[in-house]
Amino acid sequence: MSNRYPESEVIYTPESRLRHPWQLIRAMGRDLLAARELAWRLMVRDISSQYRQSFLGIFWAFVPPIVAAAGLTLASNADILNIGETDLPYPVYVLFSMSLWQTFVESLNGPVQAVIAAKPMLARINFPREAIILSQLGQVGFNFAIKLLLIVSVFLWFKIPVAATVILAPVALLHLVALGTAVGLLLAPLGALYEDVPRGLTLVVSAWLFITPVIYPPPQTGLFSYLVRLNPVSPLLVTTRELATTGVLSAPVGFWLASGLAIVGLGASWLLYRIAMPFVIERISA
Amino acid sequence: MMEPQFDDLQDAPLTRGDDIVLSVKGVSKKFCRSLKQSLFYGLQDIGAELIGSRQQQRTLRPNEFWALQNVSLTLRRGEAVGLVGANGSGKTTLLRMISGLIKPDSGTIRVRGRVAPLIALGAGFSPILTGRENIYANMSILGLSTAEIDARFDQVVEFAEIGEAIDAPVQSYSSGMAARLGFACAIHTDPDILLIDEVLAVGDARFRSKCERRLSELLQQGTSFVLVSHFFQGILNICQTGIYLAQGRLMASGSARDIMDQYEQDLFSVKRERAAFPFLLPPKSPQDSAGADLVSIYFKDAVGRLMEVPVSGEPVYICVRCKALRPLNALSLFVAIYQPAKDNSLALHMSSAYDQETFAVSPGEYELRVFLPHLGLLPGSYTLNVYLKEGSLYVLDAYESLRFSVKGHEKLNRGQYYQPREWQITPK
Repeated sequence: MSNRYPESEVIYTPESRLRHPWQLIRAMGRDLLAARELAWRLMVRDISSQYRQSFLGIFWAFVPPIVAAAGLTLASNADILNIGETDLPYPVYVLFSMSLWQTFVESLNGPVQAVIAAKPMLARINFPREAIILSQLGQVGFNFAIKLLLIVSVFLWFKIPVAATVILAPVALLHLVALGTAVGLLLAPLGALYEDVPRGLTLVVSAWLFITPVIYPPPQTGLFSYLVRLNPVSPLLVTTRELATTGVLSAPVGFWLASGLAIVGLGASWLLYRIAMPFVIERISA
Repeated sequence: MMEPQFDDLQDAPLTRGDDIVLSVKGVSKKFCRSLKQSLFYGLQDIGAELIGSRQQQRTLRPNEFWALQNVSLTLRRGEAVGLVGANGSGKTTLLRMISGLIKPDSGTIRVRGRVAPLIALGAGFSPILTGRENIYANMSILGLSTAEIDARFDQVVEFAEIGEAIDAPVQSYSSGMAARLGFACAIHTDPDILLIDEVLAVGDARFRSKCERRLSELLQQGTSFVLVSHFFQGILNICQTGIYLAQGRLMASGSARDIMDQYEQDLFSVKRERAAFPFLLPPKSPQDSAGADLVSIYFKDAVGRLMEVPVSGEPVYICVRCKALRPLNALSLFVAIYQPAKDNSLALHMSSAYDQETFAVSPGEYELRVFLPHLGLLPGSYTLNVYLKEGSLYVLDAYESLRFSVKGHEKLNRGQYYQPREWQITPK
């Protein structure tokens, strides 16, 4: 018989787990390690069932940034849209920024959607709750890898020079994903209870795009530029883009502030997620 | 509140402190009747947990009720305990707290070892993926590493009897195949404690008995079970001890057979008082009558004496007194007997019309009866439905759910029915 954990005893009490923070943190670390293999399985399961049901497959990962880039370029060329000067050719600028923005949005929506999709499983089996989040992050990474194919081909096509700092770009990108995941993870338990959350999130994301320098370069003056600069996504996204292309950073301070926010926020959200899930599960299942 | 006493069991393992794998002490859980309020209370609870103020909960908020109140139980290695109780008595809630899905509102649960819930068979099955891929995903969710799944893979496929279909998508499986696969995955996780919630009704009878065999193997290897079932025989086959819950409270605990008997008795007392025999029906006005009316229902023994409680294996007459208001060509009697303790399943169905026995009668009162040389029903509680018909379809009058019980000379409520028999031996 399985005597793999002869000494392990789990105790469930009504007491708040925050009263024993050290135990809680150890349990979080243990579950994160235990969740790796399951997360991989879930990711493979989700990605393969997604692509097995699709005729065009990864084509769908390319289409949205291409359509956005084409549409905006046409509008800009026809002087319908007055964008101003970008440090890259405009189609490349939009395509690259759009891919980064979408990666952020995926990491933001991911935890909420993953928890909602896993409701039946969550309600019945006690597996490390971190697994569905890790699996979601894996899928964000997978999708970005596909987008990267597109970005590289466009860079080659337009003969865009790439600075040596490009090797640091993944770090900035990770901070961007961390910020998205922090917000998503914060909302995930709430989203499993109230449908208002996923709906509201869709609305917020579309508004958020307009105060992020994705389809326009960062504005330098006016109230609007103030708004854009307050948006923590802006420095992370802009820095990722600059590290990959020019190598000249326009907002290093903002970048570190936003990164700090992302990392601390991620830890806090994880704690909240962990604490809240048993109560959420209690309320979502019949 | 009664504390469970398992010590009166002869076959219980010796009491050794480290043998206890599960200990539930004074556990309560409250639920809310209104969904909207329930969600809001959920937020409140999360808030209280976050500021660390959450403690033992003793009071109910508006619209809340105790789904489980002050329940205790102890489970030792290799022991099986059966949970019985009506729907909503808190059985599943208890299992969900033991598996750590939800937190108790008061009390403590200590679990030692790996718990496998046989609650959600095939959790995480994706219909698009093949059986092979789903086995890996599902067993991973149940807590096995890839190496452990590799080692068990062939056993699972063999147990599930999937064969060639293992590489076909699960959406092409029959519901029985998918359920078998789910069960096979769950049962091959080698848990220390197995929580089984009404899942033994998977697949056909042959597969069910295979599952029961596998469960008893696990039991002998030292796995402990908590089994929830409405199906009495299932609990009696596997469990030595039983726990009876009603409306969230622990009513009794003890040997499985005693608990089953008590549960069965209570199942009736809440429904209707035992009828007095002969059972008299209220007279009908002629305009309500369809041509013949039931007057009374009763049992008689072999020599024609009225009897309240028929005896298993003895001769009995089931009699119906009826009044025909007009001439009838083909008066017939249908008798159906149900067992509420076994999901109200039909235990016996007899029809004089199907037996090609119908009676031509002129107006007047009659006693219509069926003679059973040996009553095949086992001791227990039953309900009786009688239908007075013209031919096999036209219902003249009917009475349903008349409660009665059958007693026996010895305690023989194992098996399905009473078999008349003689024991013999001859020297050869």
